[in-house]
Amino acid sequence: MNFKKIILPILSLALTPFFFSCEDVIDLSVKDGVEQLVVDAWLTDENSVQTIKLTLSQPYFDNSPVKPALGATVIVFEEDSTAHTFTDKNNDGNYSFTPVKGSFLKLGKRHALYIKYKNEEYYSISTLPRVPKIDSLTYEEFRLPIAPENGKPRDGFLAQFYAKDPVGEGDTYWVKSKKNGKERNLPSQISVAYDAGFSPGSKSDGLLFILPVRQSINGGFDDIFYDKDTINVELRSISNEAFYFLLQVRQESSNGGIFGTPPANIPTNIFTLNSSSKNKALGFFAVSSVSKFETIVDKSKAKPKQ
Amino acid sequence: MKKQTGKFFIFLLFISFAATSQEKFTLSGYVKDVSNGEGLIGVTVYNPETKLGTQTNVYGFYSITLPSGSYNFSLSYIGYKPLSRKIDLNTNLVVNFELSEEGKTLNEVVITAKKEDDNVRNLEMSVNKVEMKTIRKMPALLGEVDVIRSIQFLPGVSSVGEGASGFNVRGGAIDQNLVLMDEAPVYNSSHLFGFFSVFNPDVVKDVKLIKGGIPATYGGRVSSILDVRMKEGNSKKAEFTGGLGTIFSRFAYERPFVKDKGSFIVALRRSYIDLLAKPFLNSDLKGSKFYFYDFTAKANYKIDNKNTVFLSGYFGRDVFGADFGFNWGNATTTFRWNHVFNDKLFLNTTVFYSNYDYSLDSDTKNENDQDSFEWKSNIVNYSIKPDFNYYINTKNTLSFGGQVIYYSFNPGKATAVSGGESQTIGLDGKYAVESAVYVGNEQKINEKVSLSYGLRYSDYHYLGKGNAVILDESGKPGERKSVKDVKTYGKGENIQTYGNLEPRFALNVGLNNSSSLKLSYNRLAQYIHLLSNTTASSPLDVWTPSSNNIKPQLSDQVALGYFKNFADNEYESSVEVYYKSLQNQIDYVRNADLLLNPYVEADLLSGQGRAYGAEFYIKKNKGVFNGWISYTLARTERKVEGLNNFEWFPSRIDKLHNLSAVLIYDPGKKWSFSGNFSFASGTPASFPTNKFEWQGVALPHNYYDERNNYRIPASHRLDLSATRKNKHALFGKGESEWVFSVYNIYNRRNPFSVYVRQNEDNPAITEAIRYSVFASVLPAVTYNFKF
Repeated sequence: MNFKKIILPILSLALTPFFFSCEDVIDLSVKDGVEQLVVDAWLTDENSVQTIKLTLSQPYFDNSPVKPALGATVIVFEEDSTAHTFTDKNNDGNYSFTPVKGSFLKLGKRHALYIKYKNEEYYSISTLPRVPKIDSLTYEEFRLPIAPENGKPRDGFLAQFYAKDPVGEGDTYWVKSKKNGKERNLPSQISVAYDAGFSPGSKSDGLLFILPVRQSINGGFDDIFYDKDTINVELRSISNEAFYFLLQVRQESSNGGIFGTPPANIPTNIFTLNSSSKNKALGFFAVSSVSKFETIVDKSKAKPKQ
Repeated sequence: MKKQTGKFFIFLLFISFAATSQEKFTLSGYVKDVSNGEGLIGVTVYNPETKLGTQTNVYGFYSITLPSGSYNFSLSYIGYKPLSRKIDLNTNLVVNFELSEEGKTLNEVVITAKKEDDNVRNLEMSVNKVEMKTIRKMPALLGEVDVIRSIQFLPGVSSVGEGASGFNVRGGAIDQNLVLMDEAPVYNSSHLFGFFSVFNPDVVKDVKLIKGGIPATYGGRVSSILDVRMKEGNSKKAEFTGGLGTIFSRFAYERPFVKDKGSFIVALRRSYIDLLAKPFLNSDLKGSKFYFYDFTAKANYKIDNKNTVFLSGYFGRDVFGADFGFNWGNATTTFRWNHVFNDKLFLNTTVFYSNYDYSLDSDTKNENDQDSFEWKSNIVNYSIKPDFNYYINTKNTLSFGGQVIYYSFNPGKATAVSGGESQTIGLDGKYAVESAVYVGNEQKINEKVSLSYGLRYSDYHYLGKGNAVILDESGKPGERKSVKDVKTYGKGENIQTYGNLEPRFALNVGLNNSSSLKLSYNRLAQYIHLLSNTTASSPLDVWTPSSNNIKPQLSDQVALGYFKNFADNEYESSVEVYYKSLQNQIDYVRNADLLLNPYVEADLLSGQGRAYGAEFYIKKNKGVFNGWISYTLARTERKVEGLNNFEWFPSRIDKLHNLSAVLIYDPGKKWSFSGNFSFASGTPASFPTNKFEWQGVALPHNYYDERNNYRIPASHRLDLSATRKNKHALFGKGESEWVFSVYNIYNRRNPFSVYVRQNEDNPAITEAIRYSVFASVLPAVTYNFKF
């Protein structure tokens, strides 16, 4: 659960100065596995260039640049069999497609991804889920408990967005945010929601997103908003599978120390057409509807500190 | 099955009556410490001519029945001067003895008339007792004497890492230890996430760890029993003890309140690192809190010669917070009534309440916040537990009794106030009743052979009001199960029942005067489980009852030991081998969601466990130099469908080698010195073999999908301490001492865990990190006093 992931690292941090703990980078040798095709296909229903990136996996401690998977055939099919071909224009593994308005991805319909790479055929299916409108974005005065390391001031603003989960259990979301055009893309900053809360069965269906979700657009203890900053919030609907994929990406990326949990492989929804083939792929195919909201922080409009 | 238990019981009674036909008389009473009136546990009362004897129970009561005649009784107890008394036994007699501590001066240590070969002669095996005196002398982390850190130097005991919460016994998880404080279970034995234990050393009287051959009296956990008894309070005079340490201070006050009838002890500890740090913190951090405290109190009152009552309590809390608050702690209350029916039948009835809870608030300062978040979880239980000791004759001591525990679990309830609108995201309470009846007999067959056998029947009901989650078991093993249905049960309605017969057996065959062979077997059942899949247990971990999906854990353990004493019992040694088989061990699906998850049972796996090993132990009991060396060679493994190809793999706590040495040099003068050394193999860890890119981030992937595929480096450490005794404490009275200690003297960075991560600045780069909890030399000074 999220809270554990939020609280425990803070507690561990707090203990650090008292208990003389230390982290250092060491060399480790582990047995490598076999190279695999990696699919990064997160598409939206927006009228902007859609990109699917194909790369190859490499040994964990090999920090050389990632190798692209070149020469692949990449097609996304609508449920009515309309085909959209993605092409690798720069020969760098980024296969792209520019949709014509309204012709790409249909709400509630299934979409299939087809990839042919080195004589192996892969596929994946994803349904486009619904997304609610973001009603508003507010910010309040906030003072960081500790001065940020980057030398920025401690006084700034804490933002939150307001949106209401539609009635019907099982909607899942990915909350993305940008500050002055820069996306918060650290895996530890991934914010996801299940209905208006954090997890299934939490009885938060049809409600306003709960506070920790609404405030998840802030960067954390050393990264808040300041006057004149541009805040962009993007609420993406995702499949339940994609929700668990993102949860695990976050979990596996910030997992260690005293309260580390056993690592688990991040799931994939990319399958080989020939189910008995050994050339399994990694990565994920997801299609999303998007709601966006943008605002520029104006200190005169901020809610005063409580 | 209950009928069987009954028959067994009647059978035992029959043995006993058959054996009491000639004219015999009983000597009974209490054995106490002369200086403070504390009852002494496990004192041997022995008649050398007939070679018959008994031991005092946990309340210091003994009873021995012999044919009429004149006998020499000798009383012996480690650390106390032996006592001999001639008694004419021609009527039933009540005699209370008082023993005095030895070792005030060097000369007295040498005069040891009675051989201390109890470890060889008695039936107990796989049992370690550590004297509080010894624990006090061992070098302690940051100078703070600690019971649980000290027992980690014993054979068969380990922890996942320095500073981890709890301890592991013979390959068992931390929740498989029944930690008892005056008979009430303590659900989280740690302060500060595991650095210190909840036991205030000034109040602890006796510590006993039972790793195997567990008597029928005990049940409810499958690995071990840590039985901690608190002092009763000085019944002779008022006494004030305490200490000022680096991390916390301790104060205890004890005194009689009715002469020769009642006494009490109260003790308080509080950490003050936050207070010390305060002047150095800037204004906004002044609101931050980080401390723990605990309060322990106990009183006893002797109503008459046959009835004594005890009331003890513990309340401890860790508080941590700044703009948010997080606190957790245990509370226990125990009421006990000792009743001597007659010189042969002793009853103790315990009634206890125990609670562990934690809460987390988003904002502790603002009471009427429009937006807040609060999360609470607890486990509460109430229990009644009558235990009888029936001293049938010199050959048979029968114990029987029972226990009923009512549990109430609140696995987590979070209230989120959002725009002034309150929403509860939470789990419903869970309720259960665990009860048990047991009977056991210790029988002396002849001078060489003694045995104990017993049977415990435990019975468990998972009760409403609550929901039973029905899972679809047809899915792929090792994956999260899907929920088929949720059935709602009304208050008190039975959801699930389990029952287990738990046989216990122990045999001691004396080989000669100084050596013996011991064999034991026990089966134990455990109905409540701590859900924890983190490296070290955290205060947020939740206890959960057995249910329609979670079966009770079972363990069967066989242990064989050879015990020998040398040099007039100056040295004692033992070698034990054990094999433990565990059933219904809880494991977790990949990326299990254990908190605030109403379908948490869908994320649990059930597997088998096995643990086996050999423990070597040699201890020097007496003299200027004393201490022990223990070495454990052990394995602990798991086999879980859906994990590691359903093959045996090392469990998270597996440590092949574990060596500890404790050496104390105490010439009985102003200065004394001690040292600890420990070496332990690294625990297993799981690492990715490959990585792949997603949105510019390198993600880990284990191509073989195996857990515990790597082992972190071994740890070792040396600690030293020096104690300077002063004649006078405060105001020229009493005594005091300065303790100077250095932990981790050669500055070893022992890995607590090794893990991998993306580089902080560039998430496309990956690296391996060694995390050490104590990565420096830690010196400390403590001042202790008593007056």
